[in-house]
Amino acid sequence: MSARRLLPHYAMVLPFGVLFAAFFLYPIVSGLYYSFHDWNAATEARFVGLANYEAVLNSRDFSRSMSNLLTYIAITVPLGITVAFGLALLVDSFSGFWANFFRSAFFLPVVLPAFLAATIWRWMYAPNFGLVNMVLGWFGMPSINFLNDTGMMLYALIAVDVWVSAGFNMVILLAGLKNIPQDLYEAARLDGASRIQQVRYITIPMLAPVLFFVITYGFISALQVFDVPWLLTGSSFTAYGGRRSALLFPVMDMMGRAFGSVRFGEAAAYGFILTAVIIFITAAMFAVRAWRTPK
Amino acid sequence: MIATTCRAAILATSATFLGAGALSAQELQYWVYSDFAQGEALKLQQEFIAEFEAENPGVKIVISGRGDDDLTSGQIAGAASGTLPDVFMNGLAVGAQLVEVGALANIHEEWMAMPQEFRDQFDAAAIASCTPKPEEMYCIPYTGFGEIMYRNLTVLEEAGVDTTTPPATWEEWHEQMVKVSEAGKFAVPDQTQVFNSVASMYAVRGDKEKWGIDFEARETLIEPESMTRTMQMFIDMAPMNSGTSRNDQGTRDLFITNQLAFHVVGPWVNPTYAQAANDSGLKYDFVLVPGATEGDHGGIKSYEFVSIAPGPNREIAWKFASYITEKNQMARWAKLLSRYNANAAAMADPEVTALPLIVKSVEAVKYAMDVMPPYFVGAVPNCYRSIMTDMASAVADGEYTAEEGAEELIAELNDCLAR
Repeated sequence: MSARRLLPHYAMVLPFGVLFAAFFLYPIVSGLYYSFHDWNAATEARFVGLANYEAVLNSRDFSRSMSNLLTYIAITVPLGITVAFGLALLVDSFSGFWANFFRSAFFLPVVLPAFLAATIWRWMYAPNFGLVNMVLGWFGMPSINFLNDTGMMLYALIAVDVWVSAGFNMVILLAGLKNIPQDLYEAARLDGASRIQQVRYITIPMLAPVLFFVITYGFISALQVFDVPWLLTGSSFTAYGGRRSALLFPVMDMMGRAFGSVRFGEAAAYGFILTAVIIFITAAMFAVRAWRTPK
Repeated sequence: MIATTCRAAILATSATFLGAGALSAQELQYWVYSDFAQGEALKLQQEFIAEFEAENPGVKIVISGRGDDDLTSGQIAGAASGTLPDVFMNGLAVGAQLVEVGALANIHEEWMAMPQEFRDQFDAAAIASCTPKPEEMYCIPYTGFGEIMYRNLTVLEEAGVDTTTPPATWEEWHEQMVKVSEAGKFAVPDQTQVFNSVASMYAVRGDKEKWGIDFEARETLIEPESMTRTMQMFIDMAPMNSGTSRNDQGTRDLFITNQLAFHVVGPWVNPTYAQAANDSGLKYDFVLVPGATEGDHGGIKSYEFVSIAPGPNREIAWKFASYITEKNQMARWAKLLSRYNANAAAMADPEVTALPLIVKSVEAVKYAMDVMPPYFVGAVPNCYRSIMTDMASAVADGEYTAEEGAEELIAELNDCLAR
């Protein structure tokens, strides 16, 4: 095709290209540039080589936030997906009004603004008066300080996150469940397979591509966890992460460095370290999937 | 003929537009805290704006309310992109960051050009906070607070505490806390959880002159003996605290429902407690925070400030900033909010001195310690704050003795500053 004939096509793609370059490529490239510079957003950037990366990697808050993140991911991703899968199976077993009702009810936390969800949970977790502690009190259990007891804070966060994310994953898994041919289950039932065996040998293998998406998405979201712990701990740019930094996560630390300490170069370096971790984990997951998929 | 008519029409139109441009309003962007941009506070701010606009034809003020973080990030981003608001508020604690990014104009010249009568209206210590060097001034102090101690009288009476005289020293206060705890109630919130409450406890028994940072030497001013005494207080209070921070809604709920005896905080919680007194008969009062010795008092203080951006609107922005901070406006503001502010002349207004909360705040400020000095000199790194609260919590949790905790804290703070 001649260049002249291709021109209208390029012209039509141009608006997207311009916007993509301005709002996606430029921030990434400039972020990478500033990650090697000492820059406070107003003065001239000064080249510092890898100093920002060193400062981040050697900081106390980085190791603490990474340690919190690892524990958080190790629990929240499998737990969240198990809950979502259970809910999807439950909703799938209903039809008509009740299927719609449960699907909407479980999806509600997803559409709830994060600040509202966190506020609700702050009230529910309140010591002595919160709903959770009231219920514990009925069983004669002492009040737990979910948002200030450093041994409990992470689990309190995980409960909120699972509550928020389960609905989204449930809808995706439910769509996957609907695509599994019913004759597979009929054949299994004729062969005498129990419900658990049907899930084990039909549902899970047939859902593998959807599960892969949900797991990958779960990992990426978990690595970027920010809003819920930020709100649960009442954080600000100058004080974040809750008591003894028990709910300090990398994105929170990055924001604090940028707008609390006005160290944009360090914050940019932090962003690229986190991006590298996300790319590495995602690539590893794709590699495992490619290795396990029969040729 | 037609061409001439067209030319005339074009010239007339251009002249009209140019004229209109010359006469069009000079628009000032005015950023305030979000709670000053709603309800009665907004109405009063709009009154100030209307009065100023009437006195200065052609000027239009656009008020915009923002949360704490939005104010700071907006000003930093504005400084980077050249779109700073013309007049704005913020807190002293972030002043140095704003100076660093060039968001604040040095208003020393404008300040000195004001009549002595205007300059004398303000609290001298508050003005000193805005003036890091002899010829550098970055703000006019606006609203502020001196910490006071709210006492739940029902809890104290049930615990057998005589409420007629507030505790004068830490020892007396601690004695009362023990009685409250023995009565099965919470004595205080967990004072280790936020930087301001750690500072607040330090102000009770620590050396108030040695709280802050030497930015030149990049070292903390805190001395081990002072901090050891403070850490010991956290250990002493640990079994008696509610586990909630002083800012948690849960703390207010505990106080309102007669589960918590003392709440040391600023005047902003008073409307909640006053409402509870009306609605559910909460019996409470507010007194000065006890100090190390009788006659002295603890507590911290700080100010929000009004400042202006460098730029083409600087002159009119200063005029507006000085208008809203002038005695008459500050007195009206104080009466509406029942809140202390840095205009000492306004605080002496007879109608203002009739407000008990303001009277107590004015007294509290005299003894209180600046929460994060020196202001406008160097940005306090976030690690400084987190180390302070983390170490206080670790000591309260029994991981260190008071002495070890104080030494470790100072070493970590210096390490943080050195980085």
